[in-house]
Parts: sequence; C-alpha cells; structure tokens
Amino acid sequence: MRQQPRRPEESTSVNSLAIAAITAKTMTLPDGIDGHQVRVGCDVLAIQDVADSVATFGDRYLRKVFTSGEIDDCQGHYFHGLAARFAAKEAVIKAFADPDMPFPLREIEITRDGPLPRLRLSGSVAERARRQGWLSSSVSLSHADCHAMAVVVVICKQGAR
Amino acid sequence: MIQNQVREVLAAHGRMAVDPREVDDRADLYQLGLTSHASVDLMLALEEAFDIEFPEEVLKKSTFESVHNIAQVIESLVKSSV
Repeated sequence: MRQQPRRPEESTSVNSLAIAAITAKTMTLPDGIDGHQVRVGCDVLAIQDVADSVATFGDRYLRKVFTSGEIDDCQGHYFHGLAARFAAKEAVIKAFADPDMPFPLREIEITRDGPLPRLRLSGSVAERARRQGWLSSSVSLSHADCHAMAVVVVICKQGAR
Repeated sequence: MIQNQVREVLAAHGRMAVDPREVDDRADLYQLGLTSHASVDLMLALEEAFDIEFPEEVLKKSTFESVHNIAQVIESLVKSSV
C-alpha cells in the first residue's frame, strides 16, 4: 500500500523533533506522532482477591463487575480469567487518564470472538472514548498461579480530550 | 455516625496496610493501600451496611478516596432514598 505524503506542517514537526533529539543532551519524547496519540494502561491483581470477593458477595459481585459473556468465557479457568478481565478493565480506566470520570465496570468488556481478546465499550464509557478520539485498541491478558495482569494500548486522534 | 460505620466496613473489606479506624477522615485511602479491586468490595459491603445502591455516576475514584468522601456520598444517597 502506498503511503500518503505528509502535510508540510507535520513533516516540519517531525523533522524538528529529530533534530532536537540529535542536538539536545536530554529530550522529552512526544506523546504522539502524525496526528495520533498512544495511550497505555496496565494493571495486576491477586487471583485470590477475586476468589474472596466471589465467596463473600457471590452474584452481586459478578453482576456489578462482569458481563454474562465475560463470565461464560472464563469457564474452565474461572478465577484466573475473571482476575485477568478485572485487570483489563482497570487498565482501560488508566488509559483514559481521567480520575473524575465514572466507570461502570460492565461497560468495559473483554470479548473473545477470535484468538485474541478484544475490547468492547458501551454506554457512557464508549461515549467518553469517542470524545477522546479513540480509534483502535489492543489488549493482552496473562496470569500465573497467583496473579493476573493486563495491558491495553489505545491509538487515538491527537488533541482530542 | 456514618464515618464510624464506614471505618468499620473499611477495616473488614478494605485490605489496607493500616487500621482505617485510626486514619484522618481526609487521608488518601489509595495512598494507604486501598486498591481498585478492594474498592469494589468496599462498595458492595457499604451497600449492604446502609441499604443503598451506588448509582453509576458516583462510581469514580474520588468517591472512595477518603473516609470523608465516602461518608458524604452515603449521606446524600441515604437522604435521597428517604
């Protein structure tokens, strides 16, 4: 596929950064390039914490945090899967970088339509993502015996808030 | 008093590094070890203790940031449910 030529002001900006990187002893890296910004979130969680919450609060905990699809996807590796999904939800919240925004956890869903986990947003969280210019995302989940973790990378339009 | 009840629920479900019954009411609970996952447990336990339901608009980090903030939100929810 042919690459689109950069607009003159973008080329100037990128060249200026490259020159600054060569000439300066220190540099603060830009948080975006070519009109796009990268946002990252990560989280880690003890699997036993999730098991304890299910034991203490049962369905109330599950219904408050997870969608029915997420619970179904965790059959066979129940607490590990739930803990990884909780970590992913927290990673998404961190990627928003907006501590005053309400985060209904069920509006952040990790789906398993294919070989890789995907992020599906709904309701007010989806609306906020649109306002921040979220364009695409990638999710990675992992766990060991005792802990689960998740990393979320989001590409968004630069300058959107 | 709401704040004392909040402290008791925090002690039972907050999994904090310190005894929440002895912290300042404006102290940052996240700095004292409250995790985002423990704040979900805390919310569920507070709903039981006060017979309330936290609406989606208050499910944000600042709500659970201090004993003072939690008590304020609970007070308004209790008032609106009467």
